[in-house]
Amino acid sequence: MIATLLKRQATALPILLIVSALLFTALRLLPVDPAAMSMPPNATKAEVEAARVAMGLDRPLPEQYAIWIGQVAHGDLGRSIHVRRPVSTLLADTLPATIELAVAAMLIAGSLGLSGGLILFALRDNKAEPLAETATTLMMSVPEFLWALLFIFVFGVALQALPFTGRLDPGISRPVLTGFLLFDAAWLGQWKAFASALLHLVLPAAALGIAFAPPIMRVLRASLIDIYHEDYIRQARLRGLSETRILLFHALQNAGLPTLTLMGVQFGILFGGSLLIEVIYAYPGMGNLMVDAVRNADLPIIQAVGLTYCIVVLTINAVVDALYHVINPRLRAR
Amino acid sequence: MIPRALRDPRAFIGAVLFALIALAALFAPWIARVDPQDQDLLGTLLPAAFQAGGDPAHLLGTDALGRDVLARVLYGARTALSVALIAAFGAMVLGSVLAYAAGYLGGWTDWVIGRTVEIWMSFPPVILALILMTGLGTGLRNVILAIILVDWTRFCRVLRAEVVVIARRDHVAAARLTGFSHLQTVRREIIPATIPLLITLLSLEAGIAVIAEAILSFVGLGVKSDQIAWGQMIADSRDAIYQAPWNLLAPTLAIFLTVAAANLLGDGLRRTLDVRLREDRA
Repeated sequence: MIATLLKRQATALPILLIVSALLFTALRLLPVDPAAMSMPPNATKAEVEAARVAMGLDRPLPEQYAIWIGQVAHGDLGRSIHVRRPVSTLLADTLPATIELAVAAMLIAGSLGLSGGLILFALRDNKAEPLAETATTLMMSVPEFLWALLFIFVFGVALQALPFTGRLDPGISRPVLTGFLLFDAAWLGQWKAFASALLHLVLPAAALGIAFAPPIMRVLRASLIDIYHEDYIRQARLRGLSETRILLFHALQNAGLPTLTLMGVQFGILFGGSLLIEVIYAYPGMGNLMVDAVRNADLPIIQAVGLTYCIVVLTINAVVDALYHVINPRLRAR
Repeated sequence: MIPRALRDPRAFIGAVLFALIALAALFAPWIARVDPQDQDLLGTLLPAAFQAGGDPAHLLGTDALGRDVLARVLYGARTALSVALIAAFGAMVLGSVLAYAAGYLGGWTDWVIGRTVEIWMSFPPVILALILMTGLGTGLRNVILAIILVDWTRFCRVLRAEVVVIARRDHVAAARLTGFSHLQTVRREIIPATIPLLITLLSLEAGIAVIAEAILSFVGLGVKSDQIAWGQMIADSRDAIYQAPWNLLAPTLAIFLTVAAANLLGDGLRRTLDVRLREDRA
C-alpha cells in the first residue's frame, strides 16, 4: 500500500522543479536589479558591478537557476536583500505561525461545514430549504477579508471582547521552542502565554474558517442526498435501523469521500487566503513576510515563500490522497 | 416575458441586483453630483448625513482627505465592474479554448494542458496573483491580466470534463461522418452544448474577480492610486473606524452586494440551465 501511495506522489517532484524554474525565470525578468538594491545608494558603478559578479547575476540564467536549486537542496535559501537576514531564518520564524493559523481555521471550517451540511441535509424537501440555500449563497459572497474586518469591527472594537493584533499580549514574553506558540506554551507550562495566544488566534482563525465553510456544507449535503438514493440505505431501513444510526454509521462515511477531496483543495486555497488575514490582524506569519517582500521587490524572499506555499499545497494533496486510500477500501483492494 | 433562464427566483434577484449596480456605476456622475477626487480638507472624516454631526451634502460622510464616500463608492463600482466583466470573460476565453482542445483532441494535447493546469493549481490563487502583480506592476490593465492568468484554470478543469463526455455522444460522431471538419464539429456540435455551463461559470467568476481586485487593491498592489477602488477605500478606512464608520461599511457593503449578485445569478442559472438538474426535477 505504501508503494502505491509513493507511486501516486511521484509527479510531485517534477511539478516542484517546473514551478521553481518558472518562478525563478519570471522573477528574473522583472525590471529590478537585486545587485543595485543590495548596495548603499552612494555605491559606484564598479562596486555594483562587483556585487553583481559576487551574486552570480552575470552568469547565464540556466546556470543561475542550477546554482540556486543546488543551494535550496542544501537548505540555503539565500539572504534577504532588504532586511539582510538569511531567508531560511525568516521562514523558520514565520511558517509555524501561518501553519498554526491555517490548521485552526481548517478545524473551524471543517466543523462548521460538517454541522451546516447536516442541517442543510435535514432541511431537504422542507419549505425552509430554498431559504437555507440562499443563506449559504450569501455566506459564500463574503470573502475572508470582509469577515476579518467585520469581526474586528464587532468583537474587537465595539464589544472589545477579543484581541485583534499580533499573536500575544505585549506584556507576555514569548515561549521559544518550535515557533508553534500554542504547542510551545503548553509544553513549557506557560499557561498565561497559552491563554493569550489562544485568544489572539480566535478572530483570525474564525474569519478564515467561516469563509471556507459554505462549500463544504454544500458538497456534504449533495453527497448525502446522492447516497440516500442507494439501495443499501433502503436495505438498512428495512432492517429496522434508526435514522440516526443509518446517518452516522452507513451514510456519513461514504458521503465523506467527496467532502474530504473538497477539503483538501480548500485547504490549499485557505493556506493562501491566510495571507490577507495576517495582513489585517498584523499576525507575524509568512503572508506578512510575503507582502513586505513584494513591496520591496525582495526577490530571494519572494522565491522562497512562493516555493514554500507550493510545497505546502503539494504536501496537503499527498496527505488527502493517502487519507482517501485509508478511508475508501475500494481503492485499497487494487 | 422573463427569459426562461431567469425563472429561478435566485437568478432573477441576482440579475436585477447586478443590473442596478451596473446602472449605478454608469450614472455615477449624475447620482453623486460631487467629484470623487475633490478634497475638502476642512470637512474630513465626516459621519453620514443621518448621523449626529453629518453634512447633508455628503450623504455617507467623507474620508480622511475630505472626499465624498458615496461618490467614491459609486465610481469604485466602475472599476469593480470593468474588472469583473473583462477579467471573467478573458479567463473564460483562455480557459475554454484550452479545455476544448484538451477534451476534444485528447492524447498528448490533453496531457500537456492537464499538467499545466496541475502546475498552476499548486499555487494558492492569492499568492500567484501577488507574484504576477510584482512582475506586471500596478494598474487596472495589469489587475485584469493577473486575474485572467490565475483563474483560467477554473474554466479549463470543469469544462474539459464536460467536453470529454460530449465528444463521445452520437451527434458528434454523426457530424464527423457527414464530413464536418474537426473545427466545424467543435463549433457546431460541442460549443453549443457547453454554453449553459459557460454562462454559469462566467457569472460565478465575475464575483471571484471582484473579490480578487478588492484583495489586490487592499494590499496596495491593485489599481494605481489615482483610480478609485473599493479595496483601497477599505484599507484607508481602518484608522478611523470609530469616527467615520461608513468609510469602511460602504465599500464593504458594495463588495458584498456585487459578489452576492454574481453568486445568486450563477447559482440560479446552474439550476435552470443545467440539463441534468432539470431532468431530475421533472
